[in-house]
Amino acid sequence: MTVLLIETATTTCGVGLMVDGNCEGVIVDRNRNHTEFLTDGIEKILTAHGLTPRDLTRVVVDRGPGLYTGLRVGIASAIGLAKGLGVDLVGVTSLEILARGALDAGIRGELIALIDGRRGEVFAQHFTLRDTIHPVADPIVVRPQDVATAVESWSSVHLWGDGVLRYLDVFEGLTNAVLNPLEIPPLEAGLRLGVEGTPVDVVTPLYLRDPDAVANFTTREQQS
Amino acid sequence: MKVLGIETSCDETAASVVDDELHVHSSVIESSLDEHRAFGGVVPELAGRAHVMMIASVVERALVEAGLDPRNPDIDAVAVTSGPGLIGSLLVGLSAAKGYALAWGKPFVGVHHLEGHLFAPLLEMPDLPWPMLTLLVSGGHSMLVLQHGPGSHEILGETIDDAAGEAYDKVARWLGLGYPGGPEIDKLAQSGDAKALQLPKSMTGDGYDLSFSGLKTAVVRATEKQGGLAVEDVAASFQGAVAEQLLRKVRQALEKNEVKALSLAGGVAANSALRRGITELGDEFGIPALLPSMKMCTDNAAMIAAAGVYRFQHQGASPMNLSANPNWQLADLS
Ligand SMILES: [Zn+2]
Repeated sequence: MTVLLIETATTTCGVGLMVDGNCEGVIVDRNRNHTEFLTDGIEKILTAHGLTPRDLTRVVVDRGPGLYTGLRVGIASAIGLAKGLGVDLVGVTSLEILARGALDAGIRGELIALIDGRRGEVFAQHFTLRDTIHPVADPIVVRPQDVATAVESWSSVHLWGDGVLRYLDVFEGLTNAVLNPLEIPPLEAGLRLGVEGTPVDVVTPLYLRDPDAVANFTTREQQS
Repeated sequence: MKVLGIETSCDETAASVVDDELHVHSSVIESSLDEHRAFGGVVPELAGRAHVMMIASVVERALVEAGLDPRNPDIDAVAVTSGPGLIGSLLVGLSAAKGYALAWGKPFVGVHHLEGHLFAPLLEMPDLPWPMLTLLVSGGHSMLVLQHGPGSHEILGETIDDAAGEAYDKVARWLGLGYPGGPEIDKLAQSGDAKALQLPKSMTGDGYDLSFSGLKTAVVRATEKQGGLAVEDVAASFQGAVAEQLLRKVRQALEKNEVKALSLAGGVAANSALRRGITELGDEFGIPALLPSMKMCTDNAAMIAAAGVYRFQHQGASPMNLSANPNWQLADLS
């Protein structure tokens, strides 16, 4: 299997390639210019391995949660590439990739995966890592302070993701927490997760928030 | 030569295959309009979300309907609207277009949405004589363009505030009508008295610029002052004033420029008063007046593919690092 990963859930954009079970990940941009650099990054990583898009057998994409615009750039690119080639398309969540990265790094126990959600909030999910990753709860949108309060009494916890990086000041004080402030979900983990994933017809972005207009409208309707 | 066009600048997700003789081999359009109605306008985030869900099936249908293999289509380029428009919507089409182009090893071409609209009349009447005067009116744009030939356009004037379609939406909202306002007001206007409301004539000078925001304010003031006005009469008066201004500017342009054809483009081209007026002006000046079918007036990808053919033939492919430009001006297109 020759697998491409597209990762655009954070301000950093990356691509990954798995050939014969060997994974490589490359960061192609750090400044939210996903649109400009993604395609170029895909071409470069393929060329570096002497491959062309036609050699791909699967396209994996991070479907969020994360930055909405970045997600749509990544997912639309993955759709164009996979549908154009007629190969499998797989979506994995940013939070699962973080958990898988921790598992692959040998970490066991409680993990909170955190992705910066802007507006003073993070996208978060609690996993227990044993032989595999076990989601304890569904992904949520939450204030970083509330995450810190929730895990305070735990014996130990691992916090991974760009949500940790963004709110380092909030999490630094936790004496029971091991922090891994990653700017981007680990690309190799995304590839491994994607290889095991089930192909879908259309990748649905995981937004976790209603559009503002809809949220305001619903609130208005409920009040009146 | 065949080009696949993709359009996602607003609430329509569209794809189409057009050849270099401007024959339309397929044209597929899906719209998220119904999701926006309750909000009285297009909600950008909703539009962006809808494009992601629809783009794959729209492109696939456009290729299949054109008799092409969706995995390896016999096309020469992928053209896509790269501006102007809603940034979150533009990026979906742009990113998907790059993905398809990369998969197929085909060149990729960024297209200006309004240049697409200007190509739309040619898809239904390829033998139009040049130069041609085009009144381009939509929810986002209102301008009078002198086209010297395909891809060669001179903007004579454009709106200094609201677009005509935007004014229709605002007045419709004021009158408690649904969104979009154009068709609603047009329908009511048929049975109303256009002289019921005294509305000011705007932009009475020699220039070709347009303005609609004063008209909308005048409607609000007049209806506040004169209570009990029939909504049909307000609709007819407003529609009459919009058409009067637009047609007056078209007439001025026809009088001062050597023009061999007249055409209407953009979503507001569906308006019955405008269609009637343009036909009459064509008769009066003895030139063909082209009223494109509705599917060519509203946003579609055939017009983008057609503009893409022209741009690809004359300027070649765009770089793969092309970004979307939500505020791209037609005047900046060379
Ligand atoms: Zn348009």
